Amino acid sequence: MNQQQSQYVIVGGSAAGMAAAHAIREKDPRGKITVLSAEPDAPYFRPLIPFLVAGKKTPAEMAMTGCGPYTGKNIVIQTRARVASVDTTACCVVMEDGTRHGYKKILFATGSRPYVPPDIEGTDAEGVFALRTLVDAREMAARRERTTHAVMLGGGLLNLKAAFALLEKGVRVTLVVYSPEVLSQLMEPEDATLIRRALDKAGLSIMTGVAATGIIADASGVTAVALDNGDTLACQMVCIGKGVRPNVEFLAGSDVAVDGGIVADRYTGASLPDTYTAGDVAVTYEPVTGAPIMTALWTNAVEMGRCAGLNMAGVKTVYTGTFGILNATQVADEPFVSMGVVHTTGKDCEIYQKATSSTFRKLVFDANGTRLIGAVLVGDITNAGLYRYVIREKMDVARFKRPLIDHTLHYGHFMR
Amino acid sequence: MSQPKEIFVKTDRCMGCRSCINACAVEHSVSKSLFGAIAENPRPKSRLYVEWVSPDNKVPLVCRHCEDAPCMYACISGAIRRDADGVVRTDTDKCIGCWTCVMVCPYGVIGRHLEEHKAVRCDRCPDRDVPACVNACPTGALVYQTVPAYSGAVRQHASRELLKAEGG
Repeated sequence: MNQQQSQYVIVGGSAAGMAAAHAIREKDPRGKITVLSAEPDAPYFRPLIPFLVAGKKTPAEMAMTGCGPYTGKNIVIQTRARVASVDTTACCVVMEDGTRHGYKKILFATGSRPYVPPDIEGTDAEGVFALRTLVDAREMAARRERTTHAVMLGGGLLNLKAAFALLEKGVRVTLVVYSPEVLSQLMEPEDATLIRRALDKAGLSIMTGVAATGIIADASGVTAVALDNGDTLACQMVCIGKGVRPNVEFLAGSDVAVDGGIVADRYTGASLPDTYTAGDVAVTYEPVTGAPIMTALWTNAVEMGRCAGLNMAGVKTVYTGTFGILNATQVADEPFVSMGVVHTTGKDCEIYQKATSSTFRKLVFDANGTRLIGAVLVGDITNAGLYRYVIREKMDVARFKRPLIDHTLHYGHFMR
Repeated sequence: MSQPKEIFVKTDRCMGCRSCINACAVEHSVSKSLFGAIAENPRPKSRLYVEWVSPDNKVPLVCRHCEDAPCMYACISGAIRRDADGVVRTDTDKCIGCWTCVMVCPYGVIGRHLEEHKAVRCDRCPDRDVPACVNACPTGALVYQTVPAYSGAVRQHASRELLKAEGG
């Protein structure tokens, strides 16, 4: 029988998988590590793919190996290697082509894929994208050449990034958002006022409270999007950004516990011995409430993947969980950070807000006002890391609540 | 191999004169002179900070080049790496100004260069034997030393104080 064997098999070659591989290599200089990636491209920094659409970076400039902390040696990466199933009794994975790969320890870091709402008709037409992989980005960049108007469905960060990539190339872009405002996952509608203004000013057309019902196409691909308000938007490209779903199908029929995603314990272990999970596919916990949570964030995936790698290499390391919301970025020259509990409508909590013509901040404390549980900073994100630290460590804020609210907090406040 | 030196901060010695900040900005200017730096546009940025805490304490803050550097792992573009000498560096060509490092740094010592849209941090002055901030500090609040040498000095100081307290 055709079977390869590795000490460590990592299913998935993106943030969590690569972080795990390099963490293992730090602790175990010799054990064979094989990363099985379904994608045709060698591991790359996924958050950079909008730069390919904008023509500002080449795939080579996005490669992970050798960059940042990804400098470990002797990590075997197999691309176009899609795992079909896992035989946890025989300790091997079965590839799509039927070959098998045995393991001593295995990490499931299969990530997630875009959610394409089934109630929108015609999403399989040419020119309809859900930007996720370098392959998607290449196709989008190619289609861009004959696109004068693109319609983005969904007002999340990914779609905003993609929208700006297209805007930069002179494509007219309309963002169709079902929520009352853009970035509804990251802040409440009124908190997004400054960002919305910047987006409008940058030339993005935004329609809120509207959903797409169908995509109209002919031989040349997509020609229009039909909306639930009766309008039809003529366009040559559609980009769907409606969130993601975990890739767990390969575990069907195995004994690995799946509840939405792959269930992880506090040490990143999946439900069977010598099995681990990390990244978008893993169900972990929220440090403030302890509630189960799945996130689709690069930074979280790297942190959890690293933790899993250390555990796999025998260095028992607890994973401290993650906020569901933990985003920093800049759109339309407006920097912002959103983290922890930021949706406060109907919640029992203490809130401080301050808006100026160029900045906005909202700080959310628990009902007693003793612990910070969430923060939104727009325009000025100075020392955002300290706010994250205060939330994550559940610090009693009594000693520095005033500077915290005034956004004058600095590390010196923690030192006494 | 000898251990790399690090920048240590003695907060009780800092008077808050900000000489370190000036020296850092000058060192990271194009002209590398004070008068040249003032005229430059964009104005060169300091990579360290002096904060004030009640009742009257001054706290110089500079990148710790953490052993388990959160910024390096959080970076979404692979711009942050650790050199052989232990210094955590941001490659400005790779930096896309997403500020994820700013969001995860628990010390608040990664700055934003707004004109260049890049994250900036202490690089321990690779062109100098002693970092500019340490060289400029008039009170010895900033010390450039290896960990064993610095901790040895702290121990010696503590022993002297102990002896004094015992009337020795």
